[in-house]
Amino acid sequence: MAETLRVVGDTLPGADMNAPLLEVEDLRVEFRVRRKRIAAVRGASFTLEQGKTLAVVGESGSGKSVTSQAVMGILDTPPGYITGGEIRLHGVDLLKQNEETKRTVRGNHIAIVFQDALSALNPLWSVGFQIGELFRVHRGTSRADARKRAIELLDQVGIPDAKNRVGHYPHQFSGGMRQRVMIAMALALDPEVLIADEPTTALDVTVQAQIMRLLKQIQDERNMGLILITHDLGVVADVADEVAVMYAGEVVEQASIHDAFKRPAHPYTKALLRAIPRVDTVGRELEVIPGLPPNPAALPGGCPFHPRCWAADPEKCSTQEPPNEEVADDHRALCHFAKEVYRDER
Amino acid sequence: MGRYVIRRLLQALLTLFITLFLLHYLTALSVQIRGNPALLFFGGERTPDPAMLAQVERLYGLDNACYDRPGDPCLVPFVERLQKYASGDFGTTLQDNRDVGELLTIYIPNTLRLFIFSTITLVVLAMLLGTWAARHRGKLVDHSVRGTTILIDSVPVFLILLAYVYMMAVPLTNWARGIWGTESFMGQLFRPNYNPDYPWTTIIVPGIIVGTVGLATLTRLVRASQLENIGSDFVRTARAKGLKKARITVVHVVRNSMIPIVTGVGYTFAYALSGAVLTEGIMGIPGMGRMIFQAVQRQETNLVIVGLTVTAVVVILVTLLVDLLYAALDPRIRYD
Amino acid sequence: MTELTAPKAEPDAPQASLWKDAFRTMARRPDVIFATLIMLFVFAMAAFPGLFTDKDPARCIGRDARLRPDTWFTGEHPLGTDGFGCDFAATIVHGTRPTITLALTVIIMSVLIGMTLGILAGYFGRWVDALISRALDVFIVIPLIMGAILLLSLFRGRGSSGNLIETVGPAALALTLFGWMEFCRYARAATIETKNLDYVIAARCLGAKDRRIMFKHVLPNAVVPITAIVPTSLGSVIVAESALAVLGIGVQPPATSWGVLLSNGTQWAGGGYIYLFGIPLVLLILTVFAFATFGDALRDALDPKLR
Repeated sequence: MAETLRVVGDTLPGADMNAPLLEVEDLRVEFRVRRKRIAAVRGASFTLEQGKTLAVVGESGSGKSVTSQAVMGILDTPPGYITGGEIRLHGVDLLKQNEETKRTVRGNHIAIVFQDALSALNPLWSVGFQIGELFRVHRGTSRADARKRAIELLDQVGIPDAKNRVGHYPHQFSGGMRQRVMIAMALALDPEVLIADEPTTALDVTVQAQIMRLLKQIQDERNMGLILITHDLGVVADVADEVAVMYAGEVVEQASIHDAFKRPAHPYTKALLRAIPRVDTVGRELEVIPGLPPNPAALPGGCPFHPRCWAADPEKCSTQEPPNEEVADDHRALCHFAKEVYRDER
Repeated sequence: MGRYVIRRLLQALLTLFITLFLLHYLTALSVQIRGNPALLFFGGERTPDPAMLAQVERLYGLDNACYDRPGDPCLVPFVERLQKYASGDFGTTLQDNRDVGELLTIYIPNTLRLFIFSTITLVVLAMLLGTWAARHRGKLVDHSVRGTTILIDSVPVFLILLAYVYMMAVPLTNWARGIWGTESFMGQLFRPNYNPDYPWTTIIVPGIIVGTVGLATLTRLVRASQLENIGSDFVRTARAKGLKKARITVVHVVRNSMIPIVTGVGYTFAYALSGAVLTEGIMGIPGMGRMIFQAVQRQETNLVIVGLTVTAVVVILVTLLVDLLYAALDPRIRYD
Repeated sequence: MTELTAPKAEPDAPQASLWKDAFRTMARRPDVIFATLIMLFVFAMAAFPGLFTDKDPARCIGRDARLRPDTWFTGEHPLGTDGFGCDFAATIVHGTRPTITLALTVIIMSVLIGMTLGILAGYFGRWVDALISRALDVFIVIPLIMGAILLLSLFRGRGSSGNLIETVGPAALALTLFGWMEFCRYARAATIETKNLDYVIAARCLGAKDRRIMFKHVLPNAVVPITAIVPTSLGSVIVAESALAVLGIGVQPPATSWGVLLSNGTQWAGGGYIYLFGIPLVLLILTVFAFATFGDALRDALDPKLR
C-alpha cells in the first residue's frame, strides 16, 4: 500500500492522500447527433472512499455507463462531450489534465471491467499478450517478465492451469473464465479504483455469484475502491457499501446500502425495491413501475420521474426541479418530498 | 490447424483438376467444331497429303479419333497431356516449332514481375488511402479519396496505358535521358515499351498502372474494415488500458483489419490477370498474357491450354496462400 | 404522457424502412443526384435514340468524312463525322443501345444465376453447397477477360445478321459466364446468415416449406448486398466490354458500342481528330463514374453498420 501512494504522487502532482479516493461532482455529458444535443448525464455526483464499494444502480438509459466511461476518459468524442463538472482522483481534477497524464492514469490508477468480455477482448491476440501489454507499455517490462506477471494474475483470479492457458485466445474460454481474464487485466497494475460495468449481466446465475465473490475478495485484499455498475439490485445487496441510484442522467439517491434498502428517500428507489419479486409474497401480483424510462431527447419538465411517480405533486413536480435534500447523515435524495418519503409519510 | 491446411490443399487440388478438365474440354470442343489446327501447318489452303497430315496430327497429339466427334470429352488425350506436363514436356508450337517450355521460362518471369509491382502498388495505395479516409471519416478527405478512386476505376486500364504510351512516355523519357543518360535507371523508367535489357526497370510503370485496377474496391474495403474496428469494443478496452494511440492503431486496429484485406487482395488477383493481357500487348511485354492472346488468335491450341493451365495453377496457389494467411491471422479459424 | 403507453408492434417495418431510409439518405447527396441524372440521360438515349438525333448513322457519305465538330451541337453534324463520313453524334447515340443492353443483360442474367445458386448453396448446404462452391472456385480461377477471350475466339467465325441478339449475344454470354460468381458469393453468405436467424428457425418449426422460407425470408435479405453492388457492376461490364472491343470480340458489327467506338477512335487520336476518341471516352468515363458513385452511395446507405 505504500507503493500506491508513491505511484499516484508521481503521476498526479498535487495529489492529496487525505482527500476521498474518487469524487465525481456535477458531471455533465451530452451527445451531439446531427445538430441535436442530448443530455445523457445531467449533473451526477458521488464519492468513493478507499476500500469501499459503491454500487451505481439504474435502468438502461439512466446514464450509468456513460458516467463510467467519462470517468475513465474513454468517452467516444464525437459524439459525446463532457460539458461540465469535475472528476477528482485524490483531489486532482482529471478533466483538467493533459492527454498524456490522462492516458497514464488509465489502467494504472483507474481500471474498468466491461460487460461483454468476448467483444471487449481482441480476438486475435492471446490473453497473455493482452494482459502483458499493460506491463510492457506502462512499466517497460520485458516480454518474458510480462508473461510471468500475466500467469500470476490469471492464477489470482482463479483460472486453472494458468501456465498453459496464458497462450490461449479469448474464444477458447467460457463466459465466466473470460470475465475473470478481464478482471485479471484490469488488476494488472494495481489500480486504486476498479470500475465494473455490469460485470455479471452476460453470465448465468451461478457464475455471477462466483464473479461477485472474486471481486469482493480482490477488493478486500488490495483495499481498492470498487464502483459496481448494475441494474440488478440483488447483486448489489451482498457486495456494496454505498449505493447511488441513477435516473435520467442524475443521481437521485445516494446512501449507505443499509439505509437505502431499509429507508429509501426517493420514490424511484422505493419503487425499485418494491418491484423485487420475493418468495414470501405468495398470491399477489408483481409490483411494477408504470410507464417507460424517459427519452433523453425529450425529458419531462421539472423532475424527470414525475410522470411515473405516485408521490408526485402534479404542479410542483412538473415545473420545478427537485433539490438535493439531505434526509440523514450521508443520505441524500433528489426529491421535493424526500423527507416525507424517508419517513414513509408519502 | 493441420486439418485445416490439408483440407484447403485438397480443395485446391480438386479445383485445379476440374479447371484443367474444363479447359481441355472447351479447347477440344473448339477443335471439333472449327476444324483441325493441324491444317494450319500446311498453310490452310492446299489439301495436304493424308499421310503427312496424320504425321503432324500425331506430333501434336491431335490424332485421336475423338477429335472428329463433337462433344466427346477426349479423356485419353487429357490424361496423356497431364502426364506430359508432369514430366515437364509442354510440347512445341505449331508455328515455328519452338519449344513451349523454353518460351515459358521467358514469359512467366515477366508476368510475375508485372504482378509483383501491381500488387505492391495496389496494396500500398489502398492501405494508405483507406486508413487516411477512415481517420477523417465524413470530412473532405474521405469524400475526395472515394471520388478519386472511383474515377480511376472508371477509366478502362488499357486507356490509361494508351494515354501513357502515346502522350507521356516519350517526352518523359527524353527528359530523363537528357539529365541522366540513356543507359541509366531513370532513362529507362519511362520507356513506352519493354526493354529486355532492363527487365525490372521497364516493368515498374506498367506494373503501377495495372495496380490501379480494383483500387476503389480495395480502398473501400480497407476503410470499412478499419472503421468497423475503430468503433469496436476491444479498441475501447485498449483505450481503457491507457495504451498510446499509435500502438492501438497498429496492434489492434490495423492487425484486425488485415483479414478482409487479405481476402480482398486474393480476389482481385484473378481479376488483375485479365488486365495483364492488354497491358502486355500495349507495352510490348513478352509475358503470359500476350502469349495466350496471340495463341488464341493463331489457333495455337496447345499454347492456349498451357498458358491457361499455368494461369490456373497460379491463381489457385494464390487463393490457397490467402486462405492459409487468413488462418494464420485469425486464430478462430484454425480450430475449425 | 406518451411514456406510459407500450410501444406498438410494427409489422414489416424494418424492411420497408431500410429501403426508404436508404433512398432518403441518398437523395440528400448532390453527387448522387448528379449521378442519377447522368444515368437517366444514358438510359433515355439507349431507349429512345430518336429523341437525340434525327440522322441515320448508316447513311455515310465518304467525302464528308472526318469533319471536325466545329459547330458544336448545332448544324448539319453536331459532333462532326467519323472516318467513313457517318454522322458521329448519331453513331454515338445508336451505339448506346447495344452497350446498355449488353450491360443490363449481363447483370440481370448474372444476378439471376448467381443469386439462385447462392441461395440454394447456402440454404441446402452439404453436397449442394459443395458442388456449387467448387463450381464457384473453378469459374473464379479463370479471369473474366481471359475466359471471354477463350470462349469467343474458340467459337468465332459466325457471321451475324445484325439483330440485337446476334450482335450482343456472344459477348453477353461470355461476360455472364464469368461474372456471376460475385453475386453467388454474396447471396450464399447472406443466406447462411439468414438461415440461422431466430425467425427463420421459428418459421421452420411452424412447418413452413423450404420454398416459402427461401422466398419470403432469405430472398429479401440476400437481395440487399446484391443490390448494393449492381450499379457498380453495370459500370464494370461497360468497361469490360470496351476491353473486349479492343481485342475485337466485343459487340459485333453492324452494331456498335462505345467500346467499339473507342477502339476505332484510338487510330485517330494522335492525328488531330481527337474528338473521335475523346467524346466516346468522356461519355464512357462519365457514365461509369455515375454508376459507380450511385452504387457506392447505395452500398453505404444499405449497410447497417455504417449508419
